Amino acid sequence: MDNREVLVDIKNLRTFFYTEDGVVPAVDGIDLTIHRGEVLGLVGESGCGKSVTALSILRLIPNPPGKIIGGEIFFHGEDLLKKNEEAMRMIRGDKISMIFQEPMTSLNPVYTIGNQISEAITLHQKIDDAEAKKRTIEMLHLVGIPEPERRFNQYPHEMSGGMRQRVMIAMALSSNPELLISDEATTALDVTIQAQILDLMRGLQKKLGMAILIITHNLAVVAEMAETIAIAYAGKIVESATAKEIFKSPRHPYTYGLLQSIPKFTERKTNEPLPAIEGMVPSPYHMPKGCRFNPRCPFATEKCREEEPEILELTPGHLVRCFHPIES
Amino acid sequence: MAEKAIEAKKKGQKKSSEDYTYVGMVFHRLTRHKLAMVGAFMLIFILLFVFAGPLIWRADPNAQIEGLGGMFNLPSRAHPMGTDDYGRDVLARMFFGGRISLFIGFISAISSTIVGAMVGLVAGYYGGWADNILMRFTDAMLSIPTFPLLIALASVLGKGVWQIILVIVFFGWMVDARLVRGLVLSLKEQEYVEAAHAIGASANRIMWRHLFPNTLAVLIVSTTIGIGGAIIYEASISFLGFGVQAPFASWGNMLQNAQQFIWNSPRLIIFPGLAIFLTVLGFNFFGDGLRDAIDPKLKL
Amino acid sequence: MRDYIIRRVLGMIPLILIVMIVSFGIFSLVPNPFAALIENPRIKKSDIQRLIKAWGFDLPWYLRFFKWFSGVVHGDWGPSLLYPGSTARDVISRALPVTVRVMGIEFLFALSIALPIGIISAVKQYSVTDYIVTVISFLGMSMPTFWFGLLMMMLFSVVLKRPSGMPLLPPGGIITPGLEEAPFWAKLGDRAQYLVMPVFVLAFSSVGGWARYMRSSMLEVIRQDYIRTARAKGAPEHTVINKHALRNAMIPIVTLVALSMPGIVGGAAITEHIFNIPGMGSLIIAAEIKSDYPTAMIGLLLTSILVIVFNLVADIVYAWIDPRIKYS
Repeated sequence: MDNREVLVDIKNLRTFFYTEDGVVPAVDGIDLTIHRGEVLGLVGESGCGKSVTALSILRLIPNPPGKIIGGEIFFHGEDLLKKNEEAMRMIRGDKISMIFQEPMTSLNPVYTIGNQISEAITLHQKIDDAEAKKRTIEMLHLVGIPEPERRFNQYPHEMSGGMRQRVMIAMALSSNPELLISDEATTALDVTIQAQILDLMRGLQKKLGMAILIITHNLAVVAEMAETIAIAYAGKIVESATAKEIFKSPRHPYTYGLLQSIPKFTERKTNEPLPAIEGMVPSPYHMPKGCRFNPRCPFATEKCREEEPEILELTPGHLVRCFHPIES
Repeated sequence: MAEKAIEAKKKGQKKSSEDYTYVGMVFHRLTRHKLAMVGAFMLIFILLFVFAGPLIWRADPNAQIEGLGGMFNLPSRAHPMGTDDYGRDVLARMFFGGRISLFIGFISAISSTIVGAMVGLVAGYYGGWADNILMRFTDAMLSIPTFPLLIALASVLGKGVWQIILVIVFFGWMVDARLVRGLVLSLKEQEYVEAAHAIGASANRIMWRHLFPNTLAVLIVSTTIGIGGAIIYEASISFLGFGVQAPFASWGNMLQNAQQFIWNSPRLIIFPGLAIFLTVLGFNFFGDGLRDAIDPKLKL
Repeated sequence: MRDYIIRRVLGMIPLILIVMIVSFGIFSLVPNPFAALIENPRIKKSDIQRLIKAWGFDLPWYLRFFKWFSGVVHGDWGPSLLYPGSTARDVISRALPVTVRVMGIEFLFALSIALPIGIISAVKQYSVTDYIVTVISFLGMSMPTFWFGLLMMMLFSVVLKRPSGMPLLPPGGIITPGLEEAPFWAKLGDRAQYLVMPVFVLAFSSVGGWARYMRSSMLEVIRQDYIRTARAKGAPEHTVINKHALRNAMIPIVTLVALSMPGIVGGAAITEHIFNIPGMGSLIIAAEIKSDYPTAMIGLLLTSILVIVFNLVADIVYAWIDPRIKYS
């Protein structure tokens, strides 16, 4: 059991999107707990609701067409969903920060990066411009950007993708937040840069001690970084445990399928086809009845097609949403 | 896909966006767009007015009533829109004038689009100096102020329907040329063009078979909105006396005629002008909706 | 930046040349521009011969072009056929400032209305304000300016009258006769009443198009990732809109406004004609109607140059706002 203080506690979050073509239940009853200093990985395929969860925490869901219609998000015991916009504004970028997937488009092209990072600082701290500039340069240095004084006056288009992502990280950490949300921050980078950024994030986490919520579809990323992993599917969490447990003994058929489908050098014989999970992620407009994974699950029974399973704690700290979890 | 649609229907659910064909989707979005539908109704009404009108209200647009008593009559049962300074029935003139104005508008818009598209295709596809020259020329033409050039050309070419069409086309192709060129430049880089090249397709074939169809959507929108513009140009030219000549009516020359009677017979100004205004408005509403329907994210 | 400007100025030259050729070309289509004069019994045959020689009509067209060209460049624009006794240059130099003044005022007026309402319309998309603005934009874009002008004249000069019985707004002209030598403020007030209707009529159509473009540009920008980043930083909404979004949204507007110039300069022509404003537009039209082709040609040329210069200014402003433009 985790002894650290609970930082963020999401209970039964439901965020729906009301579009012309129908209602999309992007997040439909997600529970998640993040402790102080914990690195939690939220894993799932595209469309499973992981990014929407992150945006919901900061209440950045575009409305229309999206709306948080239920649940609670406790931050230090206070429900964020009940706070007004001004209060949220003070939390964003200061106590909880977020970095996004596309470094190419996530920075404003018409202002210098120095300007943008300083802005993040002066929005939350009462210091003057000169002091903010100093702190910005410190941050640039911290994230490993060489010649920070010169870079201060550069524009985003003058930098590479990896550097821009470092700038985003600098911006996000400039007020020493308690939680950093990384929404597929390395997905758009090429592999070597990805490794560098992950190293950077790991180093910063050790140094600054913030909690990180890593959102990704890439299991390799969480294998390196996360202490705890939550697996999401079709708007719900289907399994959650420590990283070790997830990799060693996955209990949910979906998790098992995901792990099986990772190409491994050693175990598989070369002329066997790569095991993939049959079927496709369900269309958000046509969610299957019962357990949402049932059309693709090799172990599905009649009960799975009729009823939705609840979350069970199989062993301490290991939660699974399944009627027939795999034996460990 | 089809089974899902059938299943959905059985359960009484709405079809979702996955279940339509491309044209079907465009149509579906178009019918939901409020302004586009308002525009469509306006256009249908106007087309009916202009084409079916004379069948219901039979009067000769050129028949003049002799004597002072026939001029400037107020609307009455004999003449629902009154008579003009020559004693002609205004309503009938509105019908026939409308036909001419619409005809000119339509033909000019389509012709400019065709010319413009050809120029744009060639410039965009070949690039290099052909592109440079064509674009310089286009830019220069775009710098010449609209009006005076129209009038200049009209005064030089003489008066009449085909002359106006020529003038409007001469002046209107540039917009489409630029549009198509830009589109071709970005489409050119796409892989299916490389693939076509790789299997030995000729330049002509690539241009017509691969690039052009993708520009169609944009061109259709441009033409629709262009008809509105062309109608205004025709009206303006006729208004200044250069376009459609008496005794034929066009909405534009009806206004020209009526200008001097602003003090005593404002009705003669209101009707034709209103007709022009509503027609152009209809085309604009519809064209805009069409643009949104074809690709809601496309910024033209 | 300086090189960029020089290059752009040099680029203007071929444009101006082409315009000259086109202007000349159009009027060369007329076989004998002096036909009207021959009819006039008061003008001597020898004078007409002199004119023909002066204008080079005894020469083949290519030589004629050079003759005209050199004449124009040297400032000799020939006699005015519209106002016998004055040179074309005098006539034009009286008309040009009038047009520039009317257009300038209209331009500023339209811009200062179109931009804010476009922005508000985008920020409050789908609201009642948005619909109203959209409808007004369409009205503006679809309205034939001459009809609108006539309607306004009917309303403000025929229907609405001042207590004295005079029209509320004068239906034409630019100044009350007799006030040419009045002190500055009196003249200003007097001039204003003449300008109200024409400026309003012209501005109405410009506002329509510009507001819509501003709206769509703004909508496009608001959807961008960097706006989401700004909000995630905790920036208040007004900063997000006015600092982050606005500058990016303005970029295409600069181009659009520049491209509208031919429309304005030209549209002004018909409006000037109706309201009897002695500017370039009505001069050109009058010249064309009365077959004073030499004046018409120069008029066309000058107004085109005005547009080209304006485009140049727009390009420079564009390069100034957008740091991504490479001056290569």
